[in-house]
Amino acid sequence: MSEHVIAWLEAYHDGELGGRRLQQVEAHLAGCALCRAELEKLQVLAALLQQSPAASDLTSPDRFVAQVGLRLPRRPSRPAWQRALLVGWQLTPLALLGAWAFVQTVFVVAGVAGAALQLGLGGDLAAGLLPALPDGSVLGELFSLSDASLNDLGRVALRTLDQGGPLGWGVTLSLALLAAIGLLYWSWLASWWVFRRHRQFGASDRRNLVSG
Amino acid sequence: MRSQTATAKETERDLIALAQQGDRQAFGELVRRHREGVVNVVYRMCGDANLAEDAAQEAFIRAWQHLPGYRPRSPFRNWVYRIATNVALDVLRREKEVVDLDALPLVNPGKGPEDAVEGIELGQRVGQAVLALPPASRVVLVLREYEGLSYREIADALGIPIGTVMSRLNYARTRLRQSLALYLEV
Repeated sequence: MSEHVIAWLEAYHDGELGGRRLQQVEAHLAGCALCRAELEKLQVLAALLQQSPAASDLTSPDRFVAQVGLRLPRRPSRPAWQRALLVGWQLTPLALLGAWAFVQTVFVVAGVAGAALQLGLGGDLAAGLLPALPDGSVLGELFSLSDASLNDLGRVALRTLDQGGPLGWGVTLSLALLAAIGLLYWSWLASWWVFRRHRQFGASDRRNLVSG
Repeated sequence: MRSQTATAKETERDLIALAQQGDRQAFGELVRRHREGVVNVVYRMCGDANLAEDAAQEAFIRAWQHLPGYRPRSPFRNWVYRIATNVALDVLRREKEVVDLDALPLVNPGKGPEDAVEGIELGQRVGQAVLALPPASRVVLVLREYEGLSYREIADALGIPIGTVMSRLNYARTRLRQSLALYLEV
């Protein structure tokens, strides 16, 4: 005979089993008097519990509804500024997405335009639009200073800062903006999660059940 | 063709939407529909009919206040039961486990006097045994045995895992089998 299924009897009795487990329990019950007796005890207990009557002499439904209606507090509607704030907060991800797309577009367009102008595709336009190009890349200059003095190193460092870091102002600014947008998005996501949990059920109700 | 249950659920959804916008009449209809279940849950929890009605009203008032935050992912009944069980727990704390034995039993009018007395006594014993359970197990037992909620629905209503529902139910039944052993001889 297979192992007893007492651990599953309550779930079986409550109609919570399905699939293979249900078949296993039913097959076992067919041949096991001990488990059948346990199941019968559960059924008798369920029947006995029904002997305890429901509440009686209750207020009529109409009266009950009327009494609840009289006790209902006026639900305060949100003031206009709160509604506007809520809408703004809900639209934040869209705004961030737009900002991200804008920064990316500007970055790509500027890169392509810059490359095109440097290749001479822009003709005379390049001379007017392009800033004076540095004599060489800052990193290249640093490598060439292997035997330079501290003064030379300081000069290169100052120039690097002046140009917005080793990557240049454009790239540094784009990366900083993208990082800021990402940070704002994750903050919004976290606040949304907290807000949602808070609103689902009253905080006090949750606390009561956990302690109960 | 849409079934009657589906239509009733749809109507309830409409009522909830209206009540969320502040329609008191729609909320009144929701109260009418769930009054009996809520009163009985609280009654089984605290054992006093008058107290149960007051607490049920309190539960509906809390439901009205929290209704704008209700999302129909879980059935409205489960949501209201959750509030009702919390109110019942609050009442129990306030009233220090009120057990009004006079309010517990009902006489089945179809039975003779002796049967009725036996019925009263049995009803009292069973009611007392249920009330003697710890509130956390009692509420699970009440929702399962008297309101017929599934494990998933109970877990949803109480905000606890299904495993906890099963263990509390098992504990409650084991305790009841001990306290009602006299009546359980098969």
